[in-house]
Amino acid sequence: MNWTRPQRAILDLPSGSRAFVTGPAGSGKTTATTQHLLDLLSSGVPGASILLLVPQRTLASSYQAALRTPGAAAGGQVDILTLGGLARRMVDLFWPLIAHDAGFAHPVLPPTFLTLETAQYYMAHLVRPYLDQGFFESVSIDRNRLYSQLLDNLNKAAIVGFPHTEIGERLKSAWSGESSHLRVYDDVQTCASEFRRYCLENNLLDFSLQVELFRERLWPSLLCRAYLQNTYRHLIVDNLEEDTPVTHDILSEWLPEFDSALMIYDEDAGYRSYLGADPSSGLGLRDLCTDEISFTEPLVIPPTLEGLGARLGQVLDQVQTLPPGLPDGLEALDYPPEPIRFFPQMLDWVVDRVAQLIDEGVPPGEIAILAPVLPDALRFSLTNRLDERGIPYRSHRPSRALSDEPAARCLLSLAELAHPQWNRSPSKVEITYALLQTIAGLDLTRAHLLTEICCRMREGRLVLEPFGRLRPDAQSRITFSIGERYEMLRSWIEAYVADPEAELDYFFSRLFGEVLSQPGFGFHSDLDAGQVAANLVESAQKFRWAIETRAEPMGQSLGQEYIEMVRDGVIAAQYMGNWQPPAADAVFIAPAYTFLMNNRAVDHQFWLDASSNAWFERLYQPLTHPYVLSRAWTPGRIWTAADEFEANRAVLYRLILGLLRRCRVGVHLGLSDLNEGGYEQRGLLLKAFYQVQLAAGKDQANG
Amino acid sequence: MDTAKRRLDTLDPKQAFAFSQAALQDYQECRRRFQLRYLLQAAWPAPQAEPVREHERQIRRGERFHRLAQQALLGVPLDRLDAVAAADSDEHLAQWWQNFTRLLPELQGEQRYVETLLSAPLGRHRLVAKYDLLVLSPGPKLVIYDWKTGLKRPRRAWLEKRSQTRVYPYLAVKAAAGLRSGLSLLPQQVEMIYWFAAHPGQPEKILYTPEQYEKDERDLLGLVHEIDSLSSNQFDMTIEERACQYCVYRSYCARGAAAGSLTESDEEFEPEGEITIDFDQIAEISF
Ligand code: SF4
Repeated sequence: MNWTRPQRAILDLPSGSRAFVTGPAGSGKTTATTQHLLDLLSSGVPGASILLLVPQRTLASSYQAALRTPGAAAGGQVDILTLGGLARRMVDLFWPLIAHDAGFAHPVLPPTFLTLETAQYYMAHLVRPYLDQGFFESVSIDRNRLYSQLLDNLNKAAIVGFPHTEIGERLKSAWSGESSHLRVYDDVQTCASEFRRYCLENNLLDFSLQVELFRERLWPSLLCRAYLQNTYRHLIVDNLEEDTPVTHDILSEWLPEFDSALMIYDEDAGYRSYLGADPSSGLGLRDLCTDEISFTEPLVIPPTLEGLGARLGQVLDQVQTLPPGLPDGLEALDYPPEPIRFFPQMLDWVVDRVAQLIDEGVPPGEIAILAPVLPDALRFSLTNRLDERGIPYRSHRPSRALSDEPAARCLLSLAELAHPQWNRSPSKVEITYALLQTIAGLDLTRAHLLTEICCRMREGRLVLEPFGRLRPDAQSRITFSIGERYEMLRSWIEAYVADPEAELDYFFSRLFGEVLSQPGFGFHSDLDAGQVAANLVESAQKFRWAIETRAEPMGQSLGQEYIEMVRDGVIAAQYMGNWQPPAADAVFIAPAYTFLMNNRAVDHQFWLDASSNAWFERLYQPLTHPYVLSRAWTPGRIWTAADEFEANRAVLYRLILGLLRRCRVGVHLGLSDLNEGGYEQRGLLLKAFYQVQLAAGKDQANG
Repeated sequence: MDTAKRRLDTLDPKQAFAFSQAALQDYQECRRRFQLRYLLQAAWPAPQAEPVREHERQIRRGERFHRLAQQALLGVPLDRLDAVAAADSDEHLAQWWQNFTRLLPELQGEQRYVETLLSAPLGRHRLVAKYDLLVLSPGPKLVIYDWKTGLKRPRRAWLEKRSQTRVYPYLAVKAAAGLRSGLSLLPQQVEMIYWFAAHPGQPEKILYTPEQYEKDERDLLGLVHEIDSLSSNQFDMTIEERACQYCVYRSYCARGAAAGSLTESDEEFEPEGEITIDFDQIAEISF
C-alpha cells in the first residue's frame, strides 16, 4: 500500500506516544489507524488491552472488518465501545460498590437497566398525572415526543456534565419568546426531578443515570479506576469530534495512564451535535498529546467538488476567503436540464440518471441517493422505481416501529383475542388481517368471509366459532384445508383462554412456535416474519423485566399494560433487522446523516429534495434545546432568531462539506418546484447553489 | 431488490467468520441449525424448553451467578456481595454463592483474567472464546475455569465431547500472547476445570496434552474446511430427532410443535455468553 506522509507518521509513531490526528474526512486517517491497530496486535500487544472508543457503532465498522480477517494476529479481542457502553458495563460490574452511596433505595437488589422504551414507559407513567393537572398545556406536541424530549434533557445534562436540577433554569434563561412559555420549563424541571427520584427509589437506571454514576461515582473510585487502567493499556479513539464533553473530560484524565494513545479528529464535522457532540471540547485534548499529525491532502474529494464546497461555504458566510485558483466546481454538479414541477417527476429523473450511470459502467455500490429525511412513502416511491429497472439497492433506515409490521400487528390482535379479561377485543378488520397473515394460502376474500361467519360476540367478548359449526356450503367455499388450519389456531386460543399465562412474551413465543410457524401457517419459513416476532417477544420480555420489580402495585396485568403502550405508540418496539446483510454492490439509499455516520465514500451522490428546509432546520423541540443545553453555551445568554439562523447555516455547511468529502466524482441535485407535500420551498441549500451559479456566471462574464 | 434484506446461506467467501465453541457445537449437532442460526441469522422466538418460566429462571440465575463471581474476582468487597446473594429471590443462588466463596482462596495465581476474550486465526477464519476465569501461575501454568450453573452435574464423557472442551484449551495455547505480551504456553501447561456451582465438591479437571492439541488443531481446521466447502443445500437436518426437541427451529424444520421438557434434558441451559460487541442502548442516530 502507498501510504501518504501523514499516514506514514501514524504508522511510525514511537511506542509510548500520545498522538492527536486532525484532518478532513476522506484524507485516509481511519485507514492508517486501522493499520496501526493491526500493527499493535502483530507486535504482541494483547488485544484485550486495547480500547477502541467510538461515539456510535456504525463508525467502528471498518475496524471490526479488519479485526475479523485471519490476517489479524492471535490474541485477546479488542474492546470496541462507546462511552455509554463502557458506563453501563462498569455500573453493572461495580453496582454493589456504589448503589448505597448513590442514594438507591434497595442497594442489595440488582439494578434494572432501562431501554429507551422502558424509560419512556416510566416517564409516561409519571408524567400522566401531571398532564391531568395542566402541565405542558400550552405545547401542542405528540405525547411520545413529549416524553422523549424530557428524557433527552436528562441525557443532555449527563453527557454535558451539569446537574439535572439545572435543566429548567438553563432553558428559561435563554428563552426570548412569550413569557407564558416559561412555565413549560418549570414543568420540564418538575418531571425531570420526579423521574430521577423515581429511578432512585426503584433501582432503575436510564441512560442518563448510567452515565452520571460512571462519571461521578465509578470513575473516581479506586477499584473501578484500577480495573480500567489495568485492563486497557492502549487507546484508539475515532471521530472524537462526534463525542460528548463528558467523554472528553474522562479521556483528558485517563490519557496519561495509557501506554499509547491515538485520537482521530475530523475537521469541520460534529454532526451529532443534537446528541451532544462537542467538537470544541474534543479539540481541547490536543494539548495533552505528545505528537500531532495533520492530514491536509484529501484523498477522496476531487478539486472540482472542493471548489464547490468552498464557494457554498462562502455564500453561507462560513468561509471568509477562497484560496486562489480554486475551480468553481459547477462542472461536477448535475441537475435536471429542464425545470421539474412535481416531486414524482424528480424521482423519475433521479432513477433515469442512476440507470444511465450504471449503463456507463458505474458500479451500483458507487452511487448513494440521499435525502434530508426519508419517510416510508419516499422510500417506497424510490425503491419501486429502482425495482422496475432491476437496479439493486440497499435501503437503510435506523429503525421502524414494530406496530407498522403486519406480522407484529397479527400477534397483537391474537393476543387481544386470547385475553378477554383485558376488555380490548380486536376489530373485525384486525381479525381478518391476522387470519390472512396466519393461515398460509388464505386470500383476502376468504379471510373476510371467515371473519364474518366465525367471529361472534359472546358474553361481551369476541370469540372464534368452531369451523365444524359452519354451514356445509360456507365450509366448502372457505375450503377444508383452510378450515383445518383455522381450527388449529382457534382451538389453541381456546385452550389458552382456559389456562392463560401471566407473561405476554411466553404467550407470543408459544403461539409462534406451536402454531404460527408450523407448516401450513403464514410464519412458517418466513425468516423476516420470524425476525419481527422475535423483536416483539424481546420487547415484551424486557418490558416485563423492567416493570415486574416495581414496588407499587399495578392496576392491570403487565401484558395488558404492554399492549396498551404499544398501541398508543409509547413503546415503539423499534424493529431493527439483526442480521448482517452480505456486502453487496448496490445503490445506497439513506438519510444524509446516516450516510455520514457510515463513513464511506462513493463516486456519485444524489441529493433529493434540495429545496427542502429539512436540510438545515432542526426538529421542533419545545421542551429541550441542543444549543442551550450544550457546554459551549454561556448561561444567561438569550437564544435569538439570529442565533437560529446562524446555527442553521453552520449546520448546513458542515453537512455539505461532509457529503462532498465523501464524494469522488459528482453530485446530482434532485430538484422540483413542488415538494413531496405539494408546496413550494426555497430552502437555504437551493439558494446557496443559485448564488454560486450566479457568481460563476458573473466571473465568466467579467473574465 | 433491496439487498439489505438478503441473507447468506453459506459461509461468505469474501469474509472471515468468527467461530465460537457454541457455533461449532451447533454445527456438530445439526448442520441445519448452524446454517439457520449463524449464516441466515434467523431469529426464531419459539420456546427452547418447557416449562418456559423455569427455563428462564435457570438462565437468569446463571447470569447472576456469573456476575457475582466476576465481581468477587475483581475485588468488590465480599460482605457487599454476601448481602446481594442473600437478598436474591432465587433459593439456589445464596447456596451457590456460599460454595463459591469457599473456592475463592484456591483461585490465586500470578495473574487472573476474568471474563476474557481470546481469538486466533483458524484457516481463513477466526476462532473466538470468552473465558470465565484464567489463572496464570509461574511455570508458566494456566488454569481455565468455567462455571457451570445447571442443576445437574454432567458426566465427564459428555463434557469431553463438547466443543468447549476442545476449543478452550486449544485457543488458550494458540492465543496466549493475548494475555501477556510474549507469553507462550505448551499444551501440557494448560488445564481446564469445570466447576459446578450446585456440586462444588466434584469439579471436572481436564489436563491438556500435546497430542490432544495436535488432534484439536486437525479437527478444528478440518471442520471449518468442511463448512467452507458446503453449498447451501448441504446443511442437512440432523437425523437425531431428539435434538430437535430442544431446538427453537423445530417448527421451521417441521420437527414438532411443543418444546422438550427441561427435566428430561441432558442439555445444560446456561447463559449463552454470546460474543458480541457491547454498545450502549441509545438508539441509532435520528436527526
Ligand atoms: S429442529 Fe432439528 S433439524 Fe431443525 S435445526 Fe433444530 S436440530 Fe436441526
